[in-house]
Amino acid sequence: MDNRNVSSLTKVVIYTVMIVFTLLTVYPILWLVLQSFKTSTTYLTTNKLSLPARWYTGNYPFVLVQGKYLTFFWNSVVYSAITVPAVVILSNMAGYAFAKIPSRMTKYLYGVFIVGILLTLQSILIPLFLMVSAARLHDTRLAVIIPYIALGLPMGVYLCTDFIKSIHNELLESARIDGAGFTRIFTRIIFPMSAPVSVTLAIITFTGTWNEFILMSLMISSEKYKALPYAVGRYAGSLGSDYGKLFTSLTVALIPILIFYFIFRNQITKGVAAGAVKG
Amino acid sequence: MTIQREKRLSYAVFVLPALLIYLAVVAFPTIFSILLSLTNYNGGAIFGNPDIQIVGFRSYVWMFTEPMGHFYQALGNNLLIVAVSVLGQIPLGFILAYILSRKLISRGNKFFQTMIYLPNVISAIIIGVLFNAIIYGRNSVLMEVKRLFNPAAVFTLNPNPMVPVLIVILWMFTGFYMIIFLANLQRIDPAVIEAARIDGAKEFRILWHISLPALSGVIITTAILAISGSLKSFDLIYAMTGGGPAGQTRVLSLYMYESAFRGAPNYPLANAISTVMVLISVVLIVIVRRLGHTFGTKED
Repeated sequence: MDNRNVSSLTKVVIYTVMIVFTLLTVYPILWLVLQSFKTSTTYLTTNKLSLPARWYTGNYPFVLVQGKYLTFFWNSVVYSAITVPAVVILSNMAGYAFAKIPSRMTKYLYGVFIVGILLTLQSILIPLFLMVSAARLHDTRLAVIIPYIALGLPMGVYLCTDFIKSIHNELLESARIDGAGFTRIFTRIIFPMSAPVSVTLAIITFTGTWNEFILMSLMISSEKYKALPYAVGRYAGSLGSDYGKLFTSLTVALIPILIFYFIFRNQITKGVAAGAVKG
Repeated sequence: MTIQREKRLSYAVFVLPALLIYLAVVAFPTIFSILLSLTNYNGGAIFGNPDIQIVGFRSYVWMFTEPMGHFYQALGNNLLIVAVSVLGQIPLGFILAYILSRKLISRGNKFFQTMIYLPNVISAIIIGVLFNAIIYGRNSVLMEVKRLFNPAAVFTLNPNPMVPVLIVILWMFTGFYMIIFLANLQRIDPAVIEAARIDGAKEFRILWHISLPALSGVIITTAILAISGSLKSFDLIYAMTGGGPAGQTRVLSLYMYESAFRGAPNYPLANAISTVMVLISVVLIVIVRRLGHTFGTKED
């Protein structure tokens, strides 16, 4: 309905602006994928902006097998598969208590979580590193999983509390009158009803966990427990790299998150807006 | 069991699991780091170690006064990132969001939105390594492009190494701000805009008198996000430049990381940097709460 008064010149200008921005965003990624089909020699000796003259696929088997990509991929899956449900469930539980069970403690405890949203991970790295070593957890999966869960909680508790507050009290009171306890109300009413916010939270937590690098590189030293960001981080800053394999590693590491993004793109953008705007 | 007791017990059961993990992994280390910054602790056993002494603010004094000025260089780079967000990403993100929200074009709104947000979901490590290959070194794409214009171009070190980093940051996060503005622009009642149009208001007046005022709170929120985002930036710069050359692209988080985990560790210094970062966060939180009160009462 808004379109009727817009002149075609305006439309051309707007389309141009949007297409230019889209190309600027997508081109480097597209370029990367194309370069992964060149050998390092071809990459270095021919025009770097050109399409591969001959599509070389030899980098892929090398990266997947010798590069242990499947191990890294599997570890990424394991870390996310544990962290995401844990954050969603724990945040919903705390959110339920903060939103619906009156207590004098809520003001303080909720505040403690909210402070965590703006705190940076780097400012706790040394103590965390010392604690993990003291607990003899260094170089185990738990050394990253526990921090990942904890780091997801501030945003999770915030989003869940906010959402659960909007659930009508009458519903919970009538359940109480029917004799339901708090646990039953949580599992039967609160948790199912908070599904929209749980999806948002799951997506935010997943992208955060999947892309996490610094804890991974500090807390784990054996390759068998490392995840995808480490696999590409190995190439960071290295000069005279094997470009063909470098670009292929990056491409392979990109694929899972790109698939995830294109499936959940609408929920992701909605979730980001929900998380950021009120925060 | 009385209802009061059941209530209290349930409250504890629901809150404690999250609270304990959070306190152990986030809250306790934050305080621990502040305490360590006042000592000379530099690795090894913490308890019963006779060498550990409380040295007060010695590390801070050193950090603020050492002749190389590493702290100020890193802080300066953090401020440059904030500047790029406030002067680049936020206005650009707003313009893009405004165009999309007004539905001035009929097709492709969702497509443009999806594509421009895309870099935000990709690991900053991948982006950093990618742009390292594109921008830096003899075999970079940048050199290739330079040679297109001047075949005799030779490789030289960039005198302003932060510039490429800032461009990549601009590239990466503009879509983030676009999404935030878009969500808020879509909450403005279309009837208000339609009424203004019927009264003959031009596009620019709608923007100036309706859209921008409705977003005043959000613009401040995004500025705060920009500052906290700048404090959190680590992965991208780590992968893209490693803080180099000669520490010229270091930010506070990287300076802290290098002090603690690269070469000879200097935990007291690293903890002092951490504490300064926590302080900046706390100041931000106070500002957010203040603004929340001001704007909250206005809007409600």
